[in-house]
Amino acid sequence: MARFIIRRILRGVITIVIFQTLLFGLIQILPYDFTTFLVLQPESRRLAQSELGLNLPVWQQYFKWLGDFFRLDLGLSYIAWPTPVIDVLAGRVSRTLLLFLTASILAYIIGIWLGKLVVWQRGGWFEFNFTLVGVISYTSFAPFLAFVMLNIFGYYLRWFPYQRLIDHNVWYMATVTPEWVITRLVITGFISMSLLFFLSWFSQRFNKKFTSWSIRIWGTLLIALGVWGFWKLSGQGWLAVSILDHLTLPLVSVILLSFGETMLLMRTTMLETIGENYILLAKAKGLPSHIIRDRHAARNAFFPVLTRLVLNLPYVIIGSLAIELVFNWQAMGVIVFQAIEFQDIPLLMGILSLVGIMALVGHIILDILQIYLDPRLRYNEVN
Amino acid sequence: MTDTETKQKSPGAWQLFLQGREARWKNFIENWKIFRSNSLSTIGLVLIFLFGIMVFAHPILINTVWNPRIYDPYLGYDPDPVTHPSPPSREHIFGTDGMGRDVFSQVLYGARMSFSVGIAAAITAVTLSTIFGGLAGFYGGAADLLLMGISDVFILMPVLIILLLIGVLVKLNWLAIAIIYGILSGLGRQAIVIKSHTMSIKNKPFIDAARISGGGNFHILTHHIIPNLLPVALVHAVITVVGAVLTESLLSFFSRTHDYMTWGSMIWLGQKTFRWFALSGQWNALIPPALAIMLFCSAFFMVGRALDDVINPRLRNR
Repeated sequence: MARFIIRRILRGVITIVIFQTLLFGLIQILPYDFTTFLVLQPESRRLAQSELGLNLPVWQQYFKWLGDFFRLDLGLSYIAWPTPVIDVLAGRVSRTLLLFLTASILAYIIGIWLGKLVVWQRGGWFEFNFTLVGVISYTSFAPFLAFVMLNIFGYYLRWFPYQRLIDHNVWYMATVTPEWVITRLVITGFISMSLLFFLSWFSQRFNKKFTSWSIRIWGTLLIALGVWGFWKLSGQGWLAVSILDHLTLPLVSVILLSFGETMLLMRTTMLETIGENYILLAKAKGLPSHIIRDRHAARNAFFPVLTRLVLNLPYVIIGSLAIELVFNWQAMGVIVFQAIEFQDIPLLMGILSLVGIMALVGHIILDILQIYLDPRLRYNEVN
Repeated sequence: MTDTETKQKSPGAWQLFLQGREARWKNFIENWKIFRSNSLSTIGLVLIFLFGIMVFAHPILINTVWNPRIYDPYLGYDPDPVTHPSPPSREHIFGTDGMGRDVFSQVLYGARMSFSVGIAAAITAVTLSTIFGGLAGFYGGAADLLLMGISDVFILMPVLIILLLIGVLVKLNWLAIAIIYGILSGLGRQAIVIKSHTMSIKNKPFIDAARISGGGNFHILTHHIIPNLLPVALVHAVITVVGAVLTESLLSFFSRTHDYMTWGSMIWLGQKTFRWFALSGQWNALIPPALAIMLFCSAFFMVGRALDDVINPRLRNR
């Protein structure tokens, strides 16, 4: 086992170096460099190039970058000179997480729940309609869906604001930056979400219906009280409400776009488990239908869905460029777009290597988990 | 006496061919029944057929019924309704866009582009993934390490960003997008899936039988492994079409391609026009291409899912 883990991590390091090399080569063959975008005299341009290190030979640039990368130094961004890349990314990461991480977690919950129901009531109108909805959700065109949501609920019905995120009517007397509010929204959101997960897991341990439901209700009320109290004490609750108001439309769009994939995957894997003998045994024992569904069929179908979640989570960091552009949500995707436009090599390499490393770590963890859970694979891989 | 017996025992080549054909036909009918049992798959097939008609309808219509000066997807202009964009009318089923061009003609024209992108991407991806996954799964050892090492790198690449990056470097057209998408998705996840299928086929008894009767590695690969991989590859090909068309539409929505009349760029133009004429609400230039993308992708997706049901007996509705 230990030998396998070490070998897998070594392979991962080699993989990430090759990945970086490919990307660096791809960026280097672009026909211009960053100084082309500055209006400069030739000698000032040369000065700027030597300042940025662009006049060095390509291999020196590459090794300098690689060395810095392994010393965890991503360099300075060209667009926002002289801000470090890490700071540029850190300034936007909270917005990305607030929208896309929340949306993908909610989409996974909705998708798993619907997939479970679809399999359980198969062969009727329910299955047909919801499979159709899932396929439509999976294949609809992101910018168009966002545009429709924006126009119908923002422009015609005026339920939600469709102007810029930082509404001047609200923010003109604010004493904190938007990032301050968004970061705390993310943090409170995640604490309360994980507490809710813990609560639902904890309440399932009680077989009495009354006990489990009262634990659920009181726990939820306590969590809500805690969140409300935090924002009340900080005194910035009205700003948070404004941001949440702006968040609703993009959040719903991203959920609508991405829940179908999970639902269809859950349906597929659960159809495989439903024919197993232990389901038959559970039915023969006379267990209630929903308990067979939740505790026997769904739980065994869960691993492939979890795999997909772990593999997709790193790409959440980049976000969805289309959604960000339509809703004018200035997050990571827009930065990637700008970095590509202006050939901001350190920023681009920083984002891509961050995503690459996160995806790689996800893969390694999954591999190890699989080997750990399935002894047959362990035998094949190690020997 | 003995002569006739041996004749009866070993049928001639022609008879063998006939028997084989009959068996294959029975197999096909059985699979077709499974395929048809899923009602969504029929809808998908009909939709793909309709889109196929659209591809051939456009050049025929432009050459016979439609006046190219009015109905050309790029340069057409109808002087008759004075205000453009105009709502749907008898001459223009979906109305006209902000430049006075017929939207229906553009949608028909865009079908050609989407089919080309999807099919080219699917062929690239499936060829690469079958070669890589098949070789890695069959030979194992060093070949596995090398080929799956390449797969490990390609699986980390975010497709849209790589395409945007390459779009700065070269002028992307539909073929370039399709091939790059095919390489990235074929060498990434697909190769790994195909490899695991190859490994499960490799351990089956008929491979041992072929080896005992003297089949070499190459013979086993081409005559036993790859024909058994084809159903899996077909499912992946159909699913690749969906991803490729969505990616191409996104890129042309960002105006990063050099094919100027695709469904994605129509949505971009329609959305711009929508902003200029916000009060009139010109949905008619916007909804047809968006609906076309959605229906096209969901048609292929539903067919792919039904094929998955056919090749994987554990998924069938019991």
